[in-house]
Amino acid sequence: MTTATNPVQAPNSQAELLYQAQLKQERQFRTNVGFSWGILFLILIFLFSGQNLQIGSFTFKTINVDTAFILKNITFIAGGLGQTLLISTLSILFAICMALLAALGRLSKFPPIYALSTFYVSLIRGTPLYLQIFFFFLALPQLGIVLSGIVSGVLALGLNYGAYMSETFRAGLSSVSKGQREAAMALGMTPSQTMRRIVLPQALRFAIPPMGNDFISMTKDSALVSATGFVHELMWRATKVGRASFNSLEALIMAAMFYWVLTLILTYFQGKLEARLSKGDR
Amino acid sequence: MHHPIVKISNLDKYFGRLHVLKNVSLEVPEKQVVCLIGRSGSGKSTLLRCVNFLEDPSHGTIEVDGVVVPAEIKGKEKNQLIHDVRLKTGMVFQEFNLFPHMTVLENVIEGPVTVKGMDKNQAIALAEQNLDSVGLLFKKDEYPLRLSGGQKQRVAIARALTMEPRVMLFDEPTSALDPELIGEVLNVMKKVALEGMTMIVVTHEMGFAREVADRVVVMAEGELIEDTSPEELFTNPKDPRTKALIDRYRTAE
Repeated sequence: MTTATNPVQAPNSQAELLYQAQLKQERQFRTNVGFSWGILFLILIFLFSGQNLQIGSFTFKTINVDTAFILKNITFIAGGLGQTLLISTLSILFAICMALLAALGRLSKFPPIYALSTFYVSLIRGTPLYLQIFFFFLALPQLGIVLSGIVSGVLALGLNYGAYMSETFRAGLSSVSKGQREAAMALGMTPSQTMRRIVLPQALRFAIPPMGNDFISMTKDSALVSATGFVHELMWRATKVGRASFNSLEALIMAAMFYWVLTLILTYFQGKLEARLSKGDR
Repeated sequence: MHHPIVKISNLDKYFGRLHVLKNVSLEVPEKQVVCLIGRSGSGKSTLLRCVNFLEDPSHGTIEVDGVVVPAEIKGKEKNQLIHDVRLKTGMVFQEFNLFPHMTVLENVIEGPVTVKGMDKNQAIALAEQNLDSVGLLFKKDEYPLRLSGGQKQRVAIARALTMEPRVMLFDEPTSALDPELIGEVLNVMKKVALEGMTMIVVTHEMGFAREVADRVVVMAEGELIEDTSPEELFTNPKDPRTKALIDRYRTAE
């Protein structure tokens, strides 16, 4: 057989030695980057430590944060994580449905459907997300439609991200070659079977990594929903306790840390997912 | 015995203003192997693709195993007839077109299970039998990415055979292959022919045409210019364009 099942060559071959050297270099680079991150992080902590650094006659003052306030309020702010994740998850699911519909519409040969899809994308991309959230929350009640803060938020975020993600989905759908559709048709599959069994699975696989990015952005854009004043997620809690006792600095630092850690965790899982998709059957 | 499986009558095909098939008629009786040859652009692939309606003919009629589809028919009725035709035809493409997100076995059972609603175990048994006959049963759990071009094409043949078609259509099945992999695919095709399958093969492989075909049809500029036995074609070509084709093959040989 021509296909080698084991990618590892004979250990002493020149190619293998070069490959090992390259791996070693990459490992070294990653270690150094990690080390530098650690130093940057320590500097960041030091900047907020309240310590004064005396260098000769020059005194370097760092920012003094109210530790008592942080300890008192950290659990309250952390309590917003659940809401943040809930809004983000519901919104991304809604966005995926919208994006898929918009992408299919964009590929339609029927003018009204094509127009509906491009109209939606244009309208949403042409207006600010902040405005869209307020539109659902403040403008619709004037028409007799009263939505809760969380529903407004999910609708607005979902519609907004759906419009942007439709491009990703469209690219995914076009990445599936004409030959794939023809092979399915030649087997006697109906257009909907071809879509469900052959085209969509391949398109989704293509679209999953960018969708991960969108989800990570969404967790942070969900902070905008706090502006409605009725969704008790991270940002809302941070501004509430911060304003109440003029400790916005501490409150916002806490919220920032929560968002950051959340992003790091999600990025880690996204990396795993991407690695899994890129090997195997692709 | 000589009941035609495929009957193409007065077929015309236009791509915009381009007239690519000009009043083509062709009958293929059961168990016959017909090779369609001709220079690129002669319309041979288009003609083949009209048989299972991957191309929509502009005028004329396609008949496959008793299912008659006139080009003029439209709408739901046409879709149903095309579906019936596709169930009776198996197609093998130049670019293999295996489904990359499915294993070899999943590729082969996809048609019977999804389209025919066949019981999965029954489909697997049939698929394994066909994979064995193309010599690739041991690859059944691999993804297409891990196969060579020749292996991919053999799986594609097994996939088409597992639909139990009445006629197999081959669209330049070896043109995308490295030269050393062509033989294994031609051998499988020969085996399929010997088992009595009706076949229409668009090909540049004159050796295959000579050895396996019952009949060779030559196309040029959208017309059938010669329809004869392989011996006759190679020893006594009538049309000068056929003669040129054969001469080129001989010098290449």
